[in-house]
Amino acid sequence: MTIEAINEQLLRAIGVGVALLDRQTLRFGFRNDTFEEWFSGEDHPDHLQQLFPDLDVPEMQNTLAERGRFTSEIRFKKKRRTLVIALDCTAADDDVLVLVCQNITRIKELESMIDSYSMMVERNTREIKREKEQVEKLLLNIMPRSVYEEYKTFGVVTPQLYNPVSVLMLDFVGFTEMVASQDPSVTVTELNDIYSAFDRIGEQFGCERIKTIGDAYITVAGLPDPTPDHAKAIANTAIRFVRYLTRRNLSHPHQWQCRIGLSSGSVVGSVVGIQKYVYDIFGPAVNLASRLQEFSEPMQISVQDEVAQVLKDQFDIENMGSKDIRGFGEQDVWRLSDNS
Amino acid sequence: MAERTLYEKYGGFSQVSKIVLSFYDTLLDNDEVGPFFDDVDMSKMVDHQTKFIASLLGGPASYTDNQLRQLHSHLDIRDVHFDELETVLRGALVEHGVAAEDVETVVAEFAKRRPLIVG
Repeated sequence: MTIEAINEQLLRAIGVGVALLDRQTLRFGFRNDTFEEWFSGEDHPDHLQQLFPDLDVPEMQNTLAERGRFTSEIRFKKKRRTLVIALDCTAADDDVLVLVCQNITRIKELESMIDSYSMMVERNTREIKREKEQVEKLLLNIMPRSVYEEYKTFGVVTPQLYNPVSVLMLDFVGFTEMVASQDPSVTVTELNDIYSAFDRIGEQFGCERIKTIGDAYITVAGLPDPTPDHAKAIANTAIRFVRYLTRRNLSHPHQWQCRIGLSSGSVVGSVVGIQKYVYDIFGPAVNLASRLQEFSEPMQISVQDEVAQVLKDQFDIENMGSKDIRGFGEQDVWRLSDNS
Repeated sequence: MAERTLYEKYGGFSQVSKIVLSFYDTLLDNDEVGPFFDDVDMSKMVDHQTKFIASLLGGPASYTDNQLRQLHSHLDIRDVHFDELETVLRGALVEHGVAAEDVETVVAEFAKRRPLIVG
């Protein structure tokens, strides 16, 4: 076998379509097997333009004249499959064009598949992000942001001492009877409205709602960020709670009466529980606020002596005398009133 | 911890893509169901098959029943076509080493959608 014969054999057998064309007339001079297999029309057109009607021949000639090379891509259907073939045309000399064709169908199909897959993944990523934001929002409802950040970074929350802070404890009068006598779902809906309003009021004065237990509502000023006027913030909040309820009672059939206790001191804040997280605060100030609340008549605010000393100059406050407070001994208790 | 999907079990996208391609190849050559795809653009077709296989295996695609019904409503798909597609699907799964019981799970998922597609 001569070298030429071997060359021709190779050229015929490779998986790349090869054809030689007359540069001027664009007639085929040679087509290898692969080329024939791909482009075997019934009429075996011997002219490039006949074979690829969509090919821009003038542009091809121009590009070839300028750069000696022209590339393009053609798509056609074989049976019902779209084949994509990359054409690469090189001017071998003045008379002959070498046309090399590669089947890039698989590459195109894979590209489409990657597009499809990445779109699915991106959509899922967006959904996960949205879900994460929802979870974050929920967690921020039960703990202060700084505590949440600590929890997110370290997976645990170190109990932290906050000193001093002011605590407000609110309790509704006759709530148990109310639940028993009214439609409970109506009561709870109203309670939810009221708590939401309390949250908004507290927010205005920099208070952090810690929790609600049934009809008890606890909020704190000076936590997690220290506030120098925490006592005034809690007093303002308490006054507005009462004001809000008074106004609400004017237009609602159900009358909501509250008792409030205010105290200052130190508390420890921490996440409690492993599976069911609760952010809670502990300390004498919490217990004292709870005791003081019991001294209040409906819609009244009882204040610890220490807090009263701070509020005296700016608030309407009256000494109720010394009382024996369970667990705290004898202490002066004050009454805070709305002076506006 | 959520249960591992078949999609994950069989190596995620890098493996599932092979199942998709062989499914695609067989489908196009199949004269029973192939004609439904005569006029479908190649990238749409690949997109469709990728999502189809991924959703059956519990991968990152999912169609609601309504979407499926709507997407196929303009096609005259009969039980015989659905049966044929099941055969093609089964073939592609077996060919890529999906265990027999998992093939049954996937095919059962597929069969559940028959009322949405046929009719």
